[in-house]
Amino acid sequence: MATFFKNLIKNKVMLFMVLPGAIWFFFFSYLPLAGTVVAFKEYRFNRDGFWASITSSKWVGWDNFKFLFSTNDAYTITRNTLLYNIAFIFLGLILSVAMAILLSELVNKKMAKIYQTGMFLPYFLSWVIVGYFAFSFLSMDRGLFNQILGWFGVEPISWYSEPKYWPFILIFVSMWKSVGYNSVVYLASIMGIDKSLYEAAMIDGASKWQRIRHITIPMLSPIITIMTLLAVGRIFYADFGLFYQVPRDSGTLYSVTNVIDTYVYRGLKTTGEIGMSAAAGLYQSVVGFVLVMVSNFIVRKIDKDSALF
Amino acid sequence: MSKRKKSFSFALAMVTALTLVLSGCGGGSNDAKGSDSNGASKDSEKPVNLIWYTIGTPQKDVDKVMAEVSKYTQEKINATVTMKMVDWGDYQQKMQVNVASGEPMDIMFTSAGGFDYVQNARKGAFMELDDLLDKYGKGIKDTIDPAFLEGSKVDGHNYGIPANKELPQQEVWRFNKNLVDKYNLDISNVRSLDSIEPLLKTIKEKEPNVTPFAMDKNYVPYVPYDYVIQNLPMAVKLDTTDYKIVNILETPEMKQALTTMHKYYKAGYIAPEAATTGSTNDLTTSGNWFMDRAQTQPLADNLWSASYGYPVVSTPASDAIITNTSVQGSIMAISANSEHPEKAMEFLNLLNTDPVLRNMVDSGIEGEHYKKIDDKHIENLPASKNYDMPSYSLGNNMLLYLNQNDPDDKWDQFKKFNAEGKNSPILSFNFDSTKVATEMAAVQNVKEQFWSSLMTGTVDPETYLPKAIAAFKQAGLDKVMAEAQTQLDAWKAENNK
Repeated sequence: MATFFKNLIKNKVMLFMVLPGAIWFFFFSYLPLAGTVVAFKEYRFNRDGFWASITSSKWVGWDNFKFLFSTNDAYTITRNTLLYNIAFIFLGLILSVAMAILLSELVNKKMAKIYQTGMFLPYFLSWVIVGYFAFSFLSMDRGLFNQILGWFGVEPISWYSEPKYWPFILIFVSMWKSVGYNSVVYLASIMGIDKSLYEAAMIDGASKWQRIRHITIPMLSPIITIMTLLAVGRIFYADFGLFYQVPRDSGTLYSVTNVIDTYVYRGLKTTGEIGMSAAAGLYQSVVGFVLVMVSNFIVRKIDKDSALF
Repeated sequence: MSKRKKSFSFALAMVTALTLVLSGCGGGSNDAKGSDSNGASKDSEKPVNLIWYTIGTPQKDVDKVMAEVSKYTQEKINATVTMKMVDWGDYQQKMQVNVASGEPMDIMFTSAGGFDYVQNARKGAFMELDDLLDKYGKGIKDTIDPAFLEGSKVDGHNYGIPANKELPQQEVWRFNKNLVDKYNLDISNVRSLDSIEPLLKTIKEKEPNVTPFAMDKNYVPYVPYDYVIQNLPMAVKLDTTDYKIVNILETPEMKQALTTMHKYYKAGYIAPEAATTGSTNDLTTSGNWFMDRAQTQPLADNLWSASYGYPVVSTPASDAIITNTSVQGSIMAISANSEHPEKAMEFLNLLNTDPVLRNMVDSGIEGEHYKKIDDKHIENLPASKNYDMPSYSLGNNMLLYLNQNDPDDKWDQFKKFNAEGKNSPILSFNFDSTKVATEMAAVQNVKEQFWSSLMTGTVDPETYLPKAIAAFKQAGLDKVMAEAQTQLDAWKAENNK
């Protein structure tokens, strides 16, 4: 106990800095955990507020989870969510790192900043706006793509009813929106690499490519591992805006655009069963938790220092 | 990087904390206002402050008008009113959170479309009003068309006071009159979906830049059935005698309608993106449309013409039918957690019977937001833009002053329209989907997948209709329909139909 207080006093400045974040996490992440119990209840309002409603609602066991697994859609949405996220993780990683390296190698630092800002911008656009951007390209009668196709005498394509194009469109749009932001993270750690390493390599006659391969990428690997592990934890969450707004909620595209989040939204928006949406959220986070634990365990086996914990 | 991230989460924490403090302050000042007006009371009994949530874009002068309203209501029933407006798009979600978290409120707007009346009544969001209505709602019972109170019963009880307005719903074909006149088209014989074809053909040939048949993704061709749940394929035929629920997609009427729709779509009468179009506002604004379908009310043509800025005419596409959706279009309920249910009911009674109060709530303060032209008609003043309220959601419409251009007998026309409406066979039957919640979620997803593209004619029903029917079956529609049929049979026996 005494050592605990000693530590507390010794680190008081650091701890004080952590305090706001810790309070935030306590109130908005740990405290609401108790509400997870809603997932096992048939939620009904009680005049005395939320907790009274929870205690007075009926237990229904696993009934709330059934809708996620009861139909053929269960396979489609799980497959779509997983495959898209895997594609986003890997492509995102490769593109962001490549972009970060390119930016860091630019000699003209002023231009580098301009490129960086330009790539950064899409990240701040809302999906609704991105959806309309995409629509201006893909609209059947007034879209840019169909006009260009028209010049070459190709029949216009009804983009919003042809599922086969959408895996590519979605991946492209997602990358366009997120790569700029993620590359900043890698760029920052590239900036932190000791310059003397490069100088030594240059003296030894290493080419630019060799320097990137043998210095930059190995030095980046811890941050790459951490970022990937974090992304794996969210592999069961799909970006709702991307899958709902960009395809304009077109029913004919559901086979390639329906993901867990959109399925839950469409299934429950009219009935508004809080218990069932809580069940879906719990399912997603439990799977995400297990995946993070497993992948962290694997990373630990390979390289203890790169693991999250 | 880690430093960056930490400082970011710190900033986030600060922002959140700040928001909390600010919203805390907001709540506090509201309370303060409530107690202030309490203090000003002359009566021995302290006046009660009623909190009223309603739908619509928040207006600048709400508090100002409510202060006036409160003066009036304090005299009449010893209660003051605080109104909180929640914007159209947010209403459903915010009210769900407000109710679930036990936010203090007394009166709230609910309808078939926004913050669903039946479901939330069953979930316990509203107070049962049977006794209160008898005790404090005499005026309501006398003024409002009895069909409203009857049709808004849930499992035999009243949970809300519907606004007295147009009672049946009737579909009409609307036409852009400029184009009708330009080509000298005859719309007097138009009624069925097939009957509009020659008109569409003319417009398509002569006006290539005009969308002949405007629609958004919520369009559904009219068939003489009433849906058990809006936009789910379970329906009962309007002239039914056996009260059998059928899958609307399997009916010959719908199949025929969808085939016609697809024919129109292929002919280019319908915009190629209709199935994903959220609204046709850009068409109605630019005037580049020829016709569409809409729900009507008496004098609707004037309303449409005024809001679009060019003449619009309409002609019936269906009979006027009184359905659950039309009856539950605008309801005010008393919250289950209300501290003052009796006062809330007294207020609702006053709101629905007292023209002074009703018009104040609707148009604001006389001399500031509007001025009277004669004893029935008013004219909006410039300040009315700071208090522009949706009339339909705020109680008895038939007490309202008329606008300059309204005919004197406007409300009589409404009464006539209401009297002519025919009851749907399943009026006041409300399906309880709790037992089939799992299937409902799946069915809802299938509906979203197939509905718009089928209904707008985008896809060929020859191939897609069987696919949709199979998908609905697979999702468990049969089980939902069987449950609905059981409930309907029980309801029918109970009501001696």
